Amino acid sequence: MTGPSRLSTDLDVLLRQVAGGDSDAFAVVYDLTKARVYGLVTRVLRDTGYSEETTQEVYLEVWKTAGQYNPAKGSALAWLMTMAHRRAIDRVRSEQAGSRRESRYGAANVDPASDVVADSAIAGDERRRVTDCLSGLTDAQRQCIELAYYGGLTYTEVSQRLAANLSTIKSRIRDALRGLRNCLDVA
Amino acid sequence: MTQPTDFELLELATPYALHAVPDSERADIDRWVARAPASVAAAFEDEVRAVRETMAVICAATAAEPPAQLRGAILALATPRSAKVRQLTWRTAALASAAAAVVVGAVAFGVGVLTRPTPKTPVAEQILHAPDVRTVSRPLANGMATVMFSRDRNAAVLVMNNVPPPSPGTVYQMWLIDAKGPTSAGTMNSAAVAPSTTAMLTDLGSSTELAFTVEPGSGSAQPTSPILAELPLR
Repeated sequence: MTGPSRLSTDLDVLLRQVAGGDSDAFAVVYDLTKARVYGLVTRVLRDTGYSEETTQEVYLEVWKTAGQYNPAKGSALAWLMTMAHRRAIDRVRSEQAGSRRESRYGAANVDPASDVVADSAIAGDERRRVTDCLSGLTDAQRQCIELAYYGGLTYTEVSQRLAANLSTIKSRIRDALRGLRNCLDVA
Repeated sequence: MTQPTDFELLELATPYALHAVPDSERADIDRWVARAPASVAAAFEDEVRAVRETMAVICAATAAEPPAQLRGAILALATPRSAKVRQLTWRTAALASAAAAVVVGAVAFGVGVLTRPTPKTPVAEQILHAPDVRTVSRPLANGMATVMFSRDRNAAVLVMNNVPPPSPGTVYQMWLIDAKGPTSAGTMNSAAVAPSTTAMLTDLGSSTELAFTVEPGSGSAQPTSPILAELPLR
């Protein structure tokens, strides 16, 4: 196995150790996942200070709740990244109320792969495969993912922003995810 | 939002998994899924899971190395559960112990302050589990001070990483600052400042900042030197 599936298998074992209070295992979990977690958080928050604080909250939650991770319900990486995304979105929504949020995210880049820092921890071919799959979406689909997943907008806000009706937006989001899922061959 | 049809509910699974539903709607969706026919609930859960697995792979595209100093701050989080929380001589602890000593007798005085036993449910645990826990970090000397606080618990856990000990004859003093000005929240001498130090702060009151100064001797009633670092408690 390579890439994310291998990582997730390792994480399964490590999270059980973390649940037992093993701080060395916690350090390994951090080292294996920090670039993914920090990268996603900083992509959403676009602020180094907030991103560092939120990343700490994510790993604090890992330390506290590793025992609740259930491998039958999904991979360890998905569990972790869902937590990271949720924390980042919560922070965006609490920090950026009203008009400030509008202006901050109005100019958000539509291509999620264009402004990332090169990272040796993530193999180049894995990153390329993901970038290729993102490029395979239509512009309209990619824009929805950008605004909803990275911008922290709700689907209702996305429909207002794009002046499109709700069902159109919901279909675009669903089709975008279906496209990515097929392209990446996620089970 | 009114009760959706099964079809409408399933349409919400993707935005739900992406955290792209309003917070107010999220609880409704949880309730609707719980009440939905088993096949609909299963289809909803399958979609949520598939979306999360997909986005976990997509996160390779946004990976970025965090600053190196974050590692120490985060690994220090792993200490409170393993009973390494240092109980320092915080103002509240000292006052409580001193008050107890007056009642119980002079023998307890001093000893109570220095070897205060760890409570059954450590305050640190309560803070870290509080739903409203927030984290703030700021550089302090050459290290990093991180405070995790809960307004509900009216308390905070302070983690100091790689903060050099204060010069001989001085201490670091913590101040909780509110509208009326600074109140001492305890001191740390060079023995208390290890490469990684964890300490408790109770009684945050209406303070809006935690500030650090260097004070002579065993501390001052009011700050007498410039503030080294200030952590907003908001």
